[in-house]
Amino acid sequence: MKKFNIAIIGLGGQGIITMGTVMKNAALNSDLQDVSGSERRGGAQREGYVETFVKYIFYENAAEMNSPRKNMHSPMIESGGANALISLEPLETLRGIKYLNKNSIVIFNKTPYIPISVRMGKTKYPEISFIVSELQKVTKHIYYYDIDAISLEKFNSLTQKNIIALGILFAKADIPIERSAVESVLAEGKGAENNLKAFALGLNL
Amino acid sequence: MSKSNLFINGSEGDKAIVLGNEAIARGALEAGIGYASMYPGTPASEIIAVLDKNKKHVENLYTEFSLNEHISLHGAIGASWSGIRSLCAMKNVGLNVASEPAQFLAYTGVKAGLVLAIGSDPGAPSSSNEQDDRWYSLHNYMPIMEPSNIQEAKDFTKDAFDVSEEFSFGIVLMAPSRLCHNAGALRFGNIRDRKNIKGDFKKDPENYLNLFSLAVKNHAKYLERNELLKKYLIESKFNKTINDGSSKIGFISSGVIYAHLMEAFDILGVYDHKILKLGFSFPISNELIKRFFEGIEKVVIVEEAEGFLEFQIKKIAYETGFKGSIYGKEFFSRTGELTLDDVISGVSRFLEKPLPASFDFAVEKDKELSNKLPQRSGTFCIGCPHRATFYSILKAVGFSNTEEKERDVVIAGDIGCYTLGLLPPYNAMDFLTCMNAGLSIGQAISNFDKSKKVIALVGDSTFYHSGIPVLLNAVQNGANILYIILDNSWTAMTGHQKTPSTQKDIDGKPSANVLNLKDLIKSLGVSYVKSLDPNSVKRFSAQIKSALKEPGVKVLIAKRECVLQEIRRNKSMLKNEAKVAETGESLYEIQKSRCVKCNECFVELACPAIILKKDEDTGGDYYYIDPASCVKCGVCYEICPNSAIRKVEFDLKSEFKLKKGLSEVTV
Repeated sequence: MKKFNIAIIGLGGQGIITMGTVMKNAALNSDLQDVSGSERRGGAQREGYVETFVKYIFYENAAEMNSPRKNMHSPMIESGGANALISLEPLETLRGIKYLNKNSIVIFNKTPYIPISVRMGKTKYPEISFIVSELQKVTKHIYYYDIDAISLEKFNSLTQKNIIALGILFAKADIPIERSAVESVLAEGKGAENNLKAFALGLNL
Repeated sequence: MSKSNLFINGSEGDKAIVLGNEAIARGALEAGIGYASMYPGTPASEIIAVLDKNKKHVENLYTEFSLNEHISLHGAIGASWSGIRSLCAMKNVGLNVASEPAQFLAYTGVKAGLVLAIGSDPGAPSSSNEQDDRWYSLHNYMPIMEPSNIQEAKDFTKDAFDVSEEFSFGIVLMAPSRLCHNAGALRFGNIRDRKNIKGDFKKDPENYLNLFSLAVKNHAKYLERNELLKKYLIESKFNKTINDGSSKIGFISSGVIYAHLMEAFDILGVYDHKILKLGFSFPISNELIKRFFEGIEKVVIVEEAEGFLEFQIKKIAYETGFKGSIYGKEFFSRTGELTLDDVISGVSRFLEKPLPASFDFAVEKDKELSNKLPQRSGTFCIGCPHRATFYSILKAVGFSNTEEKERDVVIAGDIGCYTLGLLPPYNAMDFLTCMNAGLSIGQAISNFDKSKKVIALVGDSTFYHSGIPVLLNAVQNGANILYIILDNSWTAMTGHQKTPSTQKDIDGKPSANVLNLKDLIKSLGVSYVKSLDPNSVKRFSAQIKSALKEPGVKVLIAKRECVLQEIRRNKSMLKNEAKVAETGESLYEIQKSRCVKCNECFVELACPAIILKKDEDTGGDYYYIDPASCVKCGVCYEICPNSAIRKVEFDLKSEFKLKKGLSEVTV
C-alpha cells in the first residue's frame, strides 16, 4: 500500500475546499485506489482558518484492499505526514508546519491577510523571511509566489488563485495522479476556460 | 458532486466523490425515504440540503426545513406512522430541543423505518458545546449506529431503515464533523423503486396512545425489543472482530475514531492485537463483549468525549466476570476533538511503542511555534449587515477599542452568524449558551441588577426557532430590556436556508408566505418596535440610544438581507438578463491626504476590505480600500469622521470597456 497525503490550508473564501474536491475527483479512475480526506469548514464565517486533506491510497492488490487491517483510513493527516502542503496565506503556512517532514513540498502564497489581533495592534504579523526560515528548518523544498497578484494581473480577479496553486503543485511535486485527470475535472466544472488557463499558468511558474 | 448528478441517478457500479453528509442522504434515498427534514445546523446541514436541492428530480420525496428540531422529529414520526420511511437530521445540540419526541419514540415505536442522523461537533468548531448525544440513548433507548467512513455512512444509513422496522425503534446515525465533512470515494448501490411511496395511516392505539397504564405497558414492550435487538447484534454484520494475532491485548472502538485507530496501527507498525469495531454503540450485547474478552488480559477502549463505550463495557465486564483490566480515558482525552495524532500518541503510550521520528519532530515544531503566531479568528463577511449592527450598538453604548472605553450595558448573545460579534474587536457579548438563551437570561439579569441596561440579540432564524414564547414571556412579566432582532432573511450560517422572513429566493422569485415580523411583534403586545436598516449606522445607533432610555420591552429589527445572498441574486439576474445594468457604478476610496489613521474604519468597524498598504515613496503604511474585495456597502464612508473616504461615481459602460481593454493588454 502506498499513500500520498496533501494538506491544503488557507482562509475561508479562498477556494480551499474546491481545491480538495478537484484533486479528489481526479483520482477516481483505478479500482485499486481510494481517496479520502476531511475538511475543516467552520460556519459561514470569513477569514477563519480552513483546511482540507487529500489522501490518496494505492493498494498493491485486491487482498490488501479487502483486508480490514489495511482498508480503513482516517480522514486526517498525522503530524509529519504530508507529502505536500499548499497554503494560500503566508502566516497560515506556519500553522500547517505540523504536517511537514523533511521530504515535504511546500507551496505558499505570499499575500498576507491581516488577522484582527494584528489590526488591533496587539500582535505583529511575521515577516516572510521568518516564515521561510522556519519552514527551512523542516524541509528544503519551499516555493512561494504572490499568487494573488498573479491572479489579479492575468484574470482581473482573485477567483483563479486556488487553481494556479494546483498548477504549481503539479510542477513542483511528483503527484501520483495524472495531470490530464485534473484538466478533465476542470474542463467539466464551472468557469472551465479560466480554470484551465490558471492551471496551465501555475504549471509554468 | 459532478455534472451527471450521480446523487440521484447513480446505481450499482458507479463511483463518485461525495461528502459524508451526502453519503448519508444517498443511503436514505437508496432505502426509499419519502420524507426528509431538519432544522439546519453545522455539521449536519448538507444531509437535508442535498435532498432538498434535488427533490424536483426525485419522485415522491417531501423535504422540509422545519422551524426547529422538535417539529422536525415529530414530522418524521408522523411520516413513519403514515408508512413513509423518514429521515430527520440535526446537529448535536438539536437533540436537546428534540429530546421530547425522541423520548416518546421508543414507547410508540415506528411504522416505516425512521433514521435520525446527528452531526456531532467534538472540539466545537461550529457549536456552543461538545455534547455527546450518545448518552441520551441510555434513557430514550434509541439504538445508535456509528459509520467509520464515507462508504459506511451510506451503507449504514440504508441498513438502518431495515433495523428500524424490524425492531420498531428510531435509529440514531451518529456522525461527527470529521465524517460529515469528509469528502471521498463512494460506491453507489441501487435505489429502491419510488413509485409506490404512498402514505397510509393506520390507527394503532395500543402503540400510539401513551397515558397511564398504556404508557407503562409500552415501557415494558420497548425494554423487550431492546433485548431482542441485543441478541441480533451478537452476530450482525455491523459489529466486527479482527482476531488474527496472538496478542492478549484487545482494542474496542467505533465510528471515525476506529478509522483513526486503524491508521494509527499502520503508522506504528502494529498488526497483532484483537480489535472489536462496534457499528452499534448502543445497545451493546453482553454476549458479544464476553466473546471478545476470551483470551484477552487487557482491553483498551479508544473513543472520543467522556467514555460512553467505556461506561457500558465496564458494566458488562462486571456482569460477565471479566478478570482483566480495562483502560480508556487514561489514554484518550475527554475534551476536545480526538484527532488522528491523539490516537497515535495514546496507542503509542499504551503499547510503549516509539513514535515515528518525523511525527515527534513535527509535534515539537508546532508546539514551539504556536505561541508565537498571531491568532486568527473568523469575522463577518465584507459588507455583512451584522458588522454595521455591532458597530452601531457599540457606538450607542460608548464602547471604543482605540480609546479603550468599556461599555456598561450587558449584551446577551445568541446563536447564528452574529455570534461572531463576541470575538475581537467587538467583544460584544457577555454570555452565550444555547438558542434563545439570550433574552430569557437577559430578562432575569435586568430584573435583579437594575443598575445595568440589558440588550439581547437574536437572529431571525433563531427567533422563529423558539424565540416567540421567550419574547411573549418578557412582555407578560413586564421585563425591561432592549431586544435587537438581526433579520437578514436567511439561516445564513448553515448555508442559507429560508426563514419565514425570506422575501425573495436567489433567482428573484418572491417567497409564498412571507411573514411581517413587525406586525408579529406588535401582536405579541410590544408597543415599542421599529425596523431599521443597520447599514445606516448613525441613525441606527441613535435609535438604540433612545430605546435604551425607554422602560419595558423594546424591539428593534435590524433589517437587511445577508449580503452574500444579495450579491448572488444580482449576479444571477445579470446573467439571466444578459445585459449590464444601466445605472452608474461607484467605488469607495480612502484619500491618503485626508486620512489621519484614526482607526474608526480599520479597528472599530474592522472591515476586512480595508487593508494596510506599504507606501513605496515614504516607506510608511496607509489604509486602503481593496476594490477587489469591497462590496460597496458604504458603511465606512458614513462613519469616517474626517471625510477621508470618498465615493467615486463613474459610467459603468466606459469602465467596462476600459477593463476589457486592459485585460487584453495583460493576458
